[in-house]
Amino acid sequence: MKIKNMIKYLPAFVFLGFIFAFMILYIVLPKESFSAQEKKQLSEFPEVTAEAVMNGEFQEKLDTYLSDHVPFRNTFVGLSANYELISGRNGKKGIYLGNDGYLFPKPTKDGELLHKNAGFIKEYADCSDIPVYMTVIPSSGYINNDKLPLNHEEYKDKELIESIKPELGENVDFVDVTGVFEEKSKDKQLYYKTDHHWTSSGAYECYRLLAEKMGFEAVNENSFEKETVDGFYGTSYAKCALWWVSPDSIELWKNKEQPEYSVNVEIKDGKDTKSGNSYFFREQLENDDKYPVFLDGNHSLVRISNKSAKGGKLIIVKDSYAHTITPFLSQNYSEIIMADLRYYKQDISLLAEKEGADAILILYSIDNLANDNNLSYLY
Amino acid sequence: MIFSSLIFLFMFLPVVLVLYYLTPKRFRNLTLFIVDLIFYSWGEPMLVLLMLVSVVLNYTAGVIIGLNRKKKKLTKAVFIIAIILNLGLLGFFKYVGFIGETLNFVMPFLNVPVLKIALPIGISFYTFQTMSYTIDVYRNTVKMQKNIITFGTYVSLFPQLIAGPIVRYEDVELQLTTRKETLAQFTDGVKIFLIGLSKKILLANEMGNLWDSIRGSGAQGGALGAWVGIIAYTFQIYFDFSGYSDMAIGLGKMFGFEFMKNFNYPYISKNITEFWRRWHISLGTWFREYVYIPLGGNRKGLPRQILNLGVVWFLTGLWHGASWNFILWGVYFGVILTFEKMFLLKLLKNVPGWISHIYAIILFVFGWVIFYFEDMGEMGGFIARLFGSDGFEIKGDITVTIISYIPLLIAAAVISTPLIPTLYHKIKSKPVLYVTENAACILAFLLCTSSLVSSSYNPFLYFKF
Repeated sequence: MKIKNMIKYLPAFVFLGFIFAFMILYIVLPKESFSAQEKKQLSEFPEVTAEAVMNGEFQEKLDTYLSDHVPFRNTFVGLSANYELISGRNGKKGIYLGNDGYLFPKPTKDGELLHKNAGFIKEYADCSDIPVYMTVIPSSGYINNDKLPLNHEEYKDKELIESIKPELGENVDFVDVTGVFEEKSKDKQLYYKTDHHWTSSGAYECYRLLAEKMGFEAVNENSFEKETVDGFYGTSYAKCALWWVSPDSIELWKNKEQPEYSVNVEIKDGKDTKSGNSYFFREQLENDDKYPVFLDGNHSLVRISNKSAKGGKLIIVKDSYAHTITPFLSQNYSEIIMADLRYYKQDISLLAEKEGADAILILYSIDNLANDNNLSYLY
Repeated sequence: MIFSSLIFLFMFLPVVLVLYYLTPKRFRNLTLFIVDLIFYSWGEPMLVLLMLVSVVLNYTAGVIIGLNRKKKKLTKAVFIIAIILNLGLLGFFKYVGFIGETLNFVMPFLNVPVLKIALPIGISFYTFQTMSYTIDVYRNTVKMQKNIITFGTYVSLFPQLIAGPIVRYEDVELQLTTRKETLAQFTDGVKIFLIGLSKKILLANEMGNLWDSIRGSGAQGGALGAWVGIIAYTFQIYFDFSGYSDMAIGLGKMFGFEFMKNFNYPYISKNITEFWRRWHISLGTWFREYVYIPLGGNRKGLPRQILNLGVVWFLTGLWHGASWNFILWGVYFGVILTFEKMFLLKLLKNVPGWISHIYAIILFVFGWVIFYFEDMGEMGGFIARLFGSDGFEIKGDITVTIISYIPLLIAAAVISTPLIPTLYHKIKSKPVLYVTENAACILAFLLCTSSLVSSSYNPFLYFKF
């Protein structure tokens, strides 16, 4: 064939090359059985039986199998994310790309559940014998409002928090961090750029506000030695699929005066148990998502004891934001029990009674408070 | 199986191409027929039997009629039975539930049991194709097809099986037996297929997202939001449908078939008569050929012509779906077309082009409102919103969504016109042409693939146990 003709028919060859290469790669590339990024088990090639083919089950499973094992999956997802971004749809995957490499999950919407949850907390506090403290952490997008892209949905965190305050009743001691966070965020990074969580600095600011309300003396910031770990790619990063966004660094704050081995962390998930001598689970730093370095991420029940603290027993009912602040609170409470209602499906009032706790702290991010339907387990 | 899926693009299509081109020429129809059946039965393992029944039925009718030309009574009887059976199958599988519901609504005391039957994919398309064959054999305008494999290939040809175009037997009769696949035609096919795939994935799906968001936001969008929404739906249905037709035409070319053009920039029309000459051309042709003209068309005086138009547009509406809104939609166009035939067209000729263009746009966009809402109450609510029942301005978060879709809305509007092909044909320099063409093909395919892959991507945030 003449070169001239070859060029004329090139689109056909490109197309054929593409579909055949794809098919061959599908067949020859080794298949992963687990996706770390999506944290899910990937499907296996479905069994071919007459019955499965006739009722369409085989075909359905094959579809899942193919989408689970697409060659160069991340490259394609990234390409689609970049295309969406440049064609005007920043936030299509639920995450806004803001200034300075900040990624923001879309705003929390007001809904029935938020107020129902406030109601559960009120009822719980009204029957509780021990003081109930509560704090709600606003979202990164609300606090870093100046870094949001031009066209974005409005973050109404302050409105939402103000709206539930009266619904909590007088027996909940509410610590509002919003004002202080807005102020402090001008010169401190209170939230990660690639993750929805707050940084150690953010958690520390909240710790100081809690100290005032809960009546203990916060450890001075200068007493902490800060260790920086680079290369943290958070969940917002994984969701938005803009792979060129720079990683965060994560700071581990250690009290210089705290004796070694004074800490004991006991983790319980049903029958599984695990323990450690530090607030930080360093094996988690190996992963892209390093946030679980704090107290090993989400678990049903975690008991943190600190021999060098003055005393007192605190129960924290929480979401994952608590993992960063608990090491600070542990400086002032010799025993802290963190319960995560998403996994700990038992009565918190019973737990408090059994443990003889001195106080309860309910700590949620605004997003989880508005979307978690497990708060009925409080009492 | 749908074209815009990983399994079709990267498994079915490459395998079928290899099988097809490895098969010796005279067995290629058999290969096609077998892969057609696999293609169809992928989503409907049992209902493929229904299609085979339709194939056997019309094949037999064709042979009996073809062999007994002189026995007028026999051929007439066979013809009538075949048509009744064809329409009966279509009626049973597509309309029986609708008829039951309507009867119960009009005469509740009857209490007819309403059958819920899953609509066999493509039945409206392949029934019309087989009927075109049987009718034409009976009218002696085409020869009967003696080879059932060839006939089966015609009926079940996978490129146009599910969503058209409705290919008349007459148009592909020769191609079925004597087509000659060429590389030039294949290349053309690839380009048209990619255009169709991009229309479907990059425009139709996205316009669908916008339309869904706007409906989901309820009263927030006000009148302006509702108009943006129905315009998004206007684009969605065009790019979806014409995208599928393009993919069908492109795939047809890859296997040596030439199908008729099904869409010809309908949204640039200046009146509704023109719109229907440009929209779903194969369906319009079918109704004209097999309903309108046999009824007498325009040759029997104006009253009869109006009646004929009424019948055709009632049926056109009904063909689109078993629901009253589709009938309303058909009748809506029937009425407009009648007015246009009587006096409006003459009137429109004397006004500036842009006015008649706006006239046409408003009417077909409004038509999509009727087409979309199967529930009359919802339709009424939406029409009220279009005229300001929830205020005129857009409020709240939906503003953000609408703004983010402006670039795509503009792209959709431009691509609805022949502007890009016109510019493209102005490129005289061959190197520039080749570079543009190949770059566009690669980019389109990469974006479509990434969009398909991305839709299944779902990073899991809170993971436990």
